[in-house]
Amino acid sequence: MSPEVFVQQALNGISFGALLFILAAGLSLIFGMMDVVNLAHGAFYMLGAYVTLAIVQRTGQFYLALFVAPAVVGLLGLILEPLLLRRLRGRHLDQVLLTIGVSLVIADLLGLTFGREIHSIPLPAGLDRSTQIFGGDYPVYRLFVIGFSIALAGALAVIHRRTRLGALIRAGVDDAQMLDALGVDIDRLFSRTFASGAALAGLAGVIAAPVFGIFPGMDVDALIYSLIVVVVGGLGTLSGAVAGAGLVGPADTFGRVLFPQFALALIFAIMALVLLLRPTGLLGRVRIAR
Amino acid sequence: MRTSDVRISRRKFLIASSAAALAAACGASTPAASSAPSSAATATTAATVAAKPLKIGQLLPFTKVYAELGNSMKRATDLYLKQKGNKLGGRAVAPPIYEDEANDPAVGAQKTQKFIEQDQVDVMMGIVATPIAYAVRNAIDSAKLVFIETNAGGNALTRTTNNCTPACKSKYIFRASFSSWQISNPIGTYFATKKGVKEAFTFVADYGFGTESQADFMNAFQAAGGKVTGSLKAPLGSADFLPFVTQLKAQPTKDIYSFFSGTDAINYIKAWNQLGMPAAGYKMNGAGFLTEQDVLKEVKDQANGAVTSLFWAVTLDNAENKAFVDAYQKEYNLLPDVFALQAWDGMTALDQALTATKGDTSNKDAFVAALEGVKFNSPRGAFEFDKDTHNVIQDMYIRQVAVQGGNAVNTIVDKVARVTDPGK
Repeated sequence: MSPEVFVQQALNGISFGALLFILAAGLSLIFGMMDVVNLAHGAFYMLGAYVTLAIVQRTGQFYLALFVAPAVVGLLGLILEPLLLRRLRGRHLDQVLLTIGVSLVIADLLGLTFGREIHSIPLPAGLDRSTQIFGGDYPVYRLFVIGFSIALAGALAVIHRRTRLGALIRAGVDDAQMLDALGVDIDRLFSRTFASGAALAGLAGVIAAPVFGIFPGMDVDALIYSLIVVVVGGLGTLSGAVAGAGLVGPADTFGRVLFPQFALALIFAIMALVLLLRPTGLLGRVRIAR
Repeated sequence: MRTSDVRISRRKFLIASSAAALAAACGASTPAASSAPSSAATATTAATVAAKPLKIGQLLPFTKVYAELGNSMKRATDLYLKQKGNKLGGRAVAPPIYEDEANDPAVGAQKTQKFIEQDQVDVMMGIVATPIAYAVRNAIDSAKLVFIETNAGGNALTRTTNNCTPACKSKYIFRASFSSWQISNPIGTYFATKKGVKEAFTFVADYGFGTESQADFMNAFQAAGGKVTGSLKAPLGSADFLPFVTQLKAQPTKDIYSFFSGTDAINYIKAWNQLGMPAAGYKMNGAGFLTEQDVLKEVKDQANGAVTSLFWAVTLDNAENKAFVDAYQKEYNLLPDVFALQAWDGMTALDQALTATKGDTSNKDAFVAALEGVKFNSPRGAFEFDKDTHNVIQDMYIRQVAVQGGNAVNTIVDKVARVTDPGK
């Protein structure tokens, strides 16, 4: 592999990792706060992509979708949490089953509404060019994905560390019961956390739509990748999602190109190795079983 | 109150069902009790079978990645029956029994057993995924169930193979779709001879069909004097094609032969353009599924110039195709795709065979012989089964993507007549 090709492949891997970060951040947030492994996360991602499709088909405005789709998915999360998940709080396995059910319903409703054929949308205006990097063409949109993801990580870090909401989230992750006893409306905090996590999945759906296409089954692919990322990086922390995505994205890209037969096996091998050496993930927190 | 209601209805049900069972038993015993000669008894049975509505079992994907293919094939099947007034070869046809293959060989095997034992269908059709077709081959063969394959193209299904691994031809299996050899071999020869390509690089989806297509292309291309400079494989369902196209661009051979379909094809074609491959002189070519309508309507002009091979194109200019496309469009307000065509041809073949047997399916040997004799003009051109392998003999079209009236379409640039799978 020549240096130019190596740089290009590294960029490909980083941009894939950047997308994985947006996807996994929401899953990690919900798990950290609520102890819920939300298996409907892939369906939220899919919903974000289909909302994008609807908006682009009607108005041609991709940038509008960047705001509307996360809002729609977030709103759904805001409704679903009190309606369904809250009733099963503390019953982990039941919650997992419930979220699988939710994901099936969402995926099938989308199939009924939009049809089961595959769709794709053009790259957004202004980002549909290629630029010269190290003597080769490189699509600007991929650079945008990297930049967007870094900005989002920065913003989330600021919210997490510097705001009251961030303090509440951190406290909730440590001990939600104690937070409740201190007079914080934990129900409201939970539903908002769930909505934010869902909105992040929706956002990932928007960003991915022009590159990966929109089709039935995309939810499952996304869910598997996001689970791998949070397991490798460590559940429940923002830095864990960054570390996991930063490792899995490039590893997957180089793996597919260098040893295509073992591509998926490679990232599962990384996951197994991480679990053996650091069972809580690269930057995971040691959790006390409650 | 409620309980007694239930009890009464249950008792009623028992009485009704035992009465029905008794009647059935008497009915069944009538021919045996009669002292008619045995040949007359056989004739009666055949007549009874022909009079009973024909049961068709269709095993198609209705969920997961191939769901839309299944829907397409179901639409064509239903349309055919509607046009024929639910009668094939003079025999009434019961509404087909549709089962979901779910892209899972275990599920496919289970549904096939259901067709054989529970539904006792007269003929089975469908199956999109090759692994499923391979998985049910032995069950179909030993049950002597006539099966018309309407998609899966794995070569082995209609070939003589070592120890029948992974599958082999069967007296009872007919294929109305294609073998992957039929799609990939002629274009290899065409490249080396008529197109004058000296060197090619292959890039295919890393699963059975993709690697089979690659091998068939390579053999034909090399046999005609071409040189394959290298190959690359992408796992099936690779979301991100940029890494692969980056690799393609890092090697010097300009003519790329590829095998992809569906989302893979769309993502591949988009990545191809994002990396400026056309400007750098690279040429995209491949098996026909790379540029079928589901892909073209999404990538629009981005696949312009791609040369692919398939046994059909929606634009094919013949009377049968016009009638088929018009009828399908009128009924469903969409263009048929190649999967609809395959299901349509499967039904036509069945129809012709039943006409020859006067609707009888009980004599398996006669039914198989009738299918072997089927010959008709399909929307794809002349259609007949190879009597030896039971695979379809058909023309293969070399097509090039061009933009006509704002739509990307496959234009026919050449035709290879009567492509017959070698059978081994």
